[in-house]
Amino acid sequence: MRRALAGVGASKGLALGRARVRHPHVLTLSEETIAADAVDGELARLDAAMQAAREELSGLRDRLQGQLAQEIGEFLDLHVLILDDPDLKAGLRDLIQTGRYSADYALKLQRDRLAAVFQAMDNDYFRTRLDDLDHVIGRVHAALHRRDDDGQLGLAGEILVADDIAPAELAELSRQQLLAVVTRAGSPLSHSAIIARGLHLPMVVGCADALSHVNDGDALLLDGRDGLLVVEPDAGDLARYRVAREKIERKRTQLERLKRAPTRTRDGIDIGLYANAERREEIAEALSAGCDGVGLYRTEYLFMGRSDVPDEDEQFHAYRDAVLGMAGKPVTLRTLDLGADKADSSGLALRNEPNPALGLRGVRLSLSRPMLLDAQLRAMLRAAAFGPVRVLVPMVTAREEIEAVRARLQAMAARLRDDRVPVGDRVAFGVMVEVPAAALTLSDYADLIDFAAVGTNDLVQYLLAADRTHDALDGLYSERHPAVLRLLHRMFTDARDAGLPIHVCGEIAARPEDVPLLLALGLRDLSVHPGAALEVREVIRGADLGRLRRRAAALLRCRTRAEVDRWAARTAGE
Amino acid sequence: MLERQIPVVNRLGLHARASAKLVQLLAGFKAQATLVGAGREVNAKSIMGVLLLAAGQGSSVTLRTDGPDEAEAMAAAEALFARRFDEES
Repeated sequence: MRRALAGVGASKGLALGRARVRHPHVLTLSEETIAADAVDGELARLDAAMQAAREELSGLRDRLQGQLAQEIGEFLDLHVLILDDPDLKAGLRDLIQTGRYSADYALKLQRDRLAAVFQAMDNDYFRTRLDDLDHVIGRVHAALHRRDDDGQLGLAGEILVADDIAPAELAELSRQQLLAVVTRAGSPLSHSAIIARGLHLPMVVGCADALSHVNDGDALLLDGRDGLLVVEPDAGDLARYRVAREKIERKRTQLERLKRAPTRTRDGIDIGLYANAERREEIAEALSAGCDGVGLYRTEYLFMGRSDVPDEDEQFHAYRDAVLGMAGKPVTLRTLDLGADKADSSGLALRNEPNPALGLRGVRLSLSRPMLLDAQLRAMLRAAAFGPVRVLVPMVTAREEIEAVRARLQAMAARLRDDRVPVGDRVAFGVMVEVPAAALTLSDYADLIDFAAVGTNDLVQYLLAADRTHDALDGLYSERHPAVLRLLHRMFTDARDAGLPIHVCGEIAARPEDVPLLLALGLRDLSVHPGAALEVREVIRGADLGRLRRRAAALLRCRTRAEVDRWAARTAGE
Repeated sequence: MLERQIPVVNRLGLHARASAKLVQLLAGFKAQATLVGAGREVNAKSIMGVLLLAAGQGSSVTLRTDGPDEAEAMAAAEALFARRFDEES
């Protein structure tokens, strides 16, 4: 029977496919008992599932050797220890033997008993160890229900329905021809949503009823723009789907024509349009969309989902490929920016920091691991022999950090030249402005850098003290908060006064409805994921920069997000 | 049976990594090991048990070992606490 469910659109696109439901870790089962003669079989079933879970964990652990993976691996070790916990196992066996409960229900009971104690703890850190228990219990539960053919089937034609999804999973799923993703939790601002948009994988998040109303094999129609999900669509839905598809195709054809058009406003001002790109296909897409270069290449892409840390040569080859791929246009390589929201949720997260968002991340991590930083900088300098390279340093807070990295860069360049290794002549050096302290003091360190990039995703998060992946804070995290707009304006003005090129590479730059705001505030360069480049160019070509600049004062006077929205609506309407 | 009171001196207390080290260490001994703290008594060879103690820095726990190698188990555990679980520089 047809049923429409509402969620939040996180990655646009239409998809029509078959549901593949993945149940969450926390179990919501009703009581299930077994017959006396089934006890031995049930115990064997539990043992087999625990063994399978152990093998999965050690498999993950084995693929994770190397220095950077050490702390990640410790969490996997913790999960193995939980799995091997003698009390946990004895409790489960007792529930099956004495209580005659099914293995599934025993898992739930045992989990709930422990959860009650954890949830009563005052200490946040210890209370959240419940996540680790849930992760292990969820793994065992999944193993109890694994069919032999699971995982061997491709995902072609399927739409994944899950509680939540880790960023690292998305790329893999997309490679397996998955059509779209629906999650119960999550936010359109999460890192997973960003990745989904980069992959052109339609995604709906925050669909509260998805898991309770969708069954494996149901036909699903999903619209990633407005967050609509239709289970068992009827003839009317399918007709509307065909019309919408055709419209999308027409729009695409129309945008295709913009590939060779200049990114120029109606009043004749050229705007720089760069791409956020790492993968080979993204680089190719950026070039074919006529982007002016790569504004953000996230090197952590090379470090994730593998068993060791890429050495200098491997990094050099990857960076050189990107430089060659952009055919003479500049490529902005950002040094390692591992952070809490980039680690995935499948147990690999760097979670042993009390407050990861405020911890050892970005340049702080790089400066604490000089060998790693030196290898990155050398690889970048060597790639620069093949085309223009800009080195970008994330998460800076203080002038001293910028000086330290700049000194390493100069030292590495000198050393490479001494060794007669080809190095680019002009390697630009810049920083990522995403900590409010760095945003406010831009002119104090402008002399040390050749360019600046504004990472609005983190900047807004730190400025508003609102986690952008927090389900309940959707309304609070907003680039349209007046404080954000005023800070951006100040930075654009300071950069212009210092003669410093500045570009925005956060999500805001890729949102057609927000681009006019950025232009009004004084921005001249944007970096967006390649899939959004043509749409952003279309907006820029329709914009009158002189008029937007004249309306900037009114924008800066807005006191609430609603006033900003009205400013945007009026500006678009006129 | 041996029983000692051990102060928790490392910065983060018996957090996950420290608890894991203690549990792994004690798993190598035959003696039974029990940890007592804040009115709760847990199996010191059970990771969930040790985490349930939620022993932060400055607290103190009582360790009981009982079995053929109880003295060695106690000495090894005390040394691990004293070394702050090998985690701080």
